[in-house]
Amino acid sequence: MKLEAVIVGAIIGVAAGWLIRRWLAAARRRKEDGCAGDCGCATKLKPKK
Amino acid sequence: MSSPEAGLLVALVGNPNTGKSTLFNALTGLRQRVGNYPGVTVARKSGTCDLGDGQKVELVDLPGLYSLAAASPDEQVVIDALSGNIAGDRRPDAVVLVVDSTNLLRNLFLASQVAELGRPVVIVLNQADVAKEQGLRIDTELLSRRLGGVPVVLSSAWKGEGILDVRRAIASAVAKQTVVKRVVWPTNIAAALADVATAAAADTGKPISAADAQRLLFDTNPSTADRLGWTVAQREKILRSARDRVRNSGYNPMAAEPLVHYAHLRAVLEGVVVEGAGKAGRSAAVDRLLLHRFLGPVLFLGIMLGFFGSVFWLAKFPMEWIQAGVDWTKTVVAPTLDAYPMLQSLLADGIIGGVGAFLVFLPQILILFLFIGILEDSGYMARAAFIMDRLFSWCGLNGKSFVPLLSGFACAIPSLLSTRTIEDPKARLATAFVVPFMSCSARFPVYALMCAAFIGPIYGPGWQSVVMIGMHCVGLLFAVPTAFVLTRLLLKVKPQPFVLELPRYQMPKPRDVIWRMWQNAAEFVSKAGTVIFAITIIVWALSYFPRDVSVAERIKASNPVASEEVVNAKVQAAYVEQSYMGRFGKAVQPIFDPLGFDWKITVGVLASFPAREVIVSTLGVTYSVGEGAEADSQHLRKAMQDAKWSEGPRAGTPIFSLAAVLALMVFFALCSQCGPTIATLAQETGGWKWAAGSFVYMTALAWLAGTAVYQVVIRLS
Repeated sequence: MKLEAVIVGAIIGVAAGWLIRRWLAAARRRKEDGCAGDCGCATKLKPKK
Repeated sequence: MSSPEAGLLVALVGNPNTGKSTLFNALTGLRQRVGNYPGVTVARKSGTCDLGDGQKVELVDLPGLYSLAAASPDEQVVIDALSGNIAGDRRPDAVVLVVDSTNLLRNLFLASQVAELGRPVVIVLNQADVAKEQGLRIDTELLSRRLGGVPVVLSSAWKGEGILDVRRAIASAVAKQTVVKRVVWPTNIAAALADVATAAAADTGKPISAADAQRLLFDTNPSTADRLGWTVAQREKILRSARDRVRNSGYNPMAAEPLVHYAHLRAVLEGVVVEGAGKAGRSAAVDRLLLHRFLGPVLFLGIMLGFFGSVFWLAKFPMEWIQAGVDWTKTVVAPTLDAYPMLQSLLADGIIGGVGAFLVFLPQILILFLFIGILEDSGYMARAAFIMDRLFSWCGLNGKSFVPLLSGFACAIPSLLSTRTIEDPKARLATAFVVPFMSCSARFPVYALMCAAFIGPIYGPGWQSVVMIGMHCVGLLFAVPTAFVLTRLLLKVKPQPFVLELPRYQMPKPRDVIWRMWQNAAEFVSKAGTVIFAITIIVWALSYFPRDVSVAERIKASNPVASEEVVNAKVQAAYVEQSYMGRFGKAVQPIFDPLGFDWKITVGVLASFPAREVIVSTLGVTYSVGEGAEADSQHLRKAMQDAKWSEGPRAGTPIFSLAAVLALMVFFALCSQCGPTIATLAQETGGWKWAAGSFVYMTALAWLAGTAVYQVVIRLS
């Protein structure tokens, strides 16, 4: 397989994996803390770590 | 949650609009930490305050409230925080009560209640400059003596006056443990309170403070009893008997607390405030104009027109600079990867094209939040709320619905959470259902792109503002009848009175306004660098693959005399059409055809269901990939202006006609395109039924309204 295809595939995989992890974490925080802090609303409503 | 290195914990408490947060900022500088109280979405803002003698304390800014009656989650948090009942938080070592100097009687009611907690107190008479301007002279020494010797300090936090005195007073209160003199309850009420405290202590096995006993006796809300674990069966009889005892002494049990406190405070304030000649009523004079029944809404509309006009006008050049930067980056990056066309397309068309298209709106976002900050801090936003309240009260919404609806213009998520302050569950449900109709700031880049690319260049800059206001009103236009049907016909919500306190007009403090603008800009850039960045990579992949080389060969063979440039453009367009994204877009496009959307807009609309602003970066990617990496000067607005239908009855006509542009904006104004909003709605309404209903209703409404707009405008034009 060409190196270029491997690099592009890895970038796409990392991006997709990061998005899925982020959405799952947001769903969990929404359930636990009330606000997932994933809306970009720029308010002070941040979830506790 | 408390910072161990800070040592002592001091709580800042006060009525709303007393300048509490400004004082907090003045005392802590920028050394602030923001978090949540556990289990509730009430912000916990804390910072380190230097008392001036090398001693540092942790200062926590509690939510503004009028009394300690726990009617809402905010009020409950204050009571729990002051009583030391929050897990991981200590009981405050001292309380700083921030009081509006121009309204001591009403503000000191809270001080009188806080006295029952028995904590050392400092009373800060804030906005002292305004009191002086109004000709009020306050004898702080006399007030201090009458309140039991607690430090009473004059300050004007927004001017930075008296801050050092406040620091010294905190140090003094902590050292001397000065507490506010408590109210003396009439004999029967005192006996009733003692009965309640004794019974609750016996039943729960916990010590009951004087403050808790008052909450148990005077509040209909059972939150204190629930917290103490005093069951309905245990408390029902004793509370009824104690309240009868209060009633027998001539007091209504629900009104006894304020009556006794106010009588006590009137005696405390006797001779403390001397009224002289001043410029009282300047705010009232301005309000006579701005809140006028007919002139008020007209002036409001004028202010909004100027507001949106300025956003476009001021942002024009910075946007062009960012666009030039994005184009330059593309021209630098693309040639270095000529040997790697796939990687070249990912970087130039996908990442730079998509993220760049989004980042271009940074100046508009900055200016938008600058103006919002000015409107809020000057006191006009509360007047806007008052003007709009007339509209909402007509459609049957509870007065308390109004603040969540207003904050929905920034973001629906905190607005949905703030519906928790509405006690009536039916009114809360109706409010939560219509909150997503408010035009949130995520819709702004979509409107801005359409206005900047089509409305401004064709109809002039004035129309950009008109269309922007129109789009912000579209949601309202549909929210009002929706709320009417919900409140009057389906849920039958009982109307309730609402009191809105109008803060006095003041000059916004540049540091506060710029700080808020900076926070929003950081959030916007962070979103571009994370979520938008990741989504553009996925959208690029779907628009790039599969890439069948036979397509290029076929096009070259069928265009033997065409120039290389023309053939290349055709090849790029063919590649994007046969990509996963192209195939999917073309399959779904017939659904959106009545709205005048081609397959690229359809793909943008569908990709933006998780978050509506994604359409900007999606269009950025699909138009970049379709044009090829060498078309680096074709930025999104230009590419959209040039786009034409390639087939069908509209072949050769612009895709982005006025009808399609307006239909697209109306669709975005009404459609439920925000995953976190739907999830929060489900959480706040206790299930997926209302969230699913909201999604289906709003999406169907958006499709119908978009179709109507397209079909009417296309016929008229």
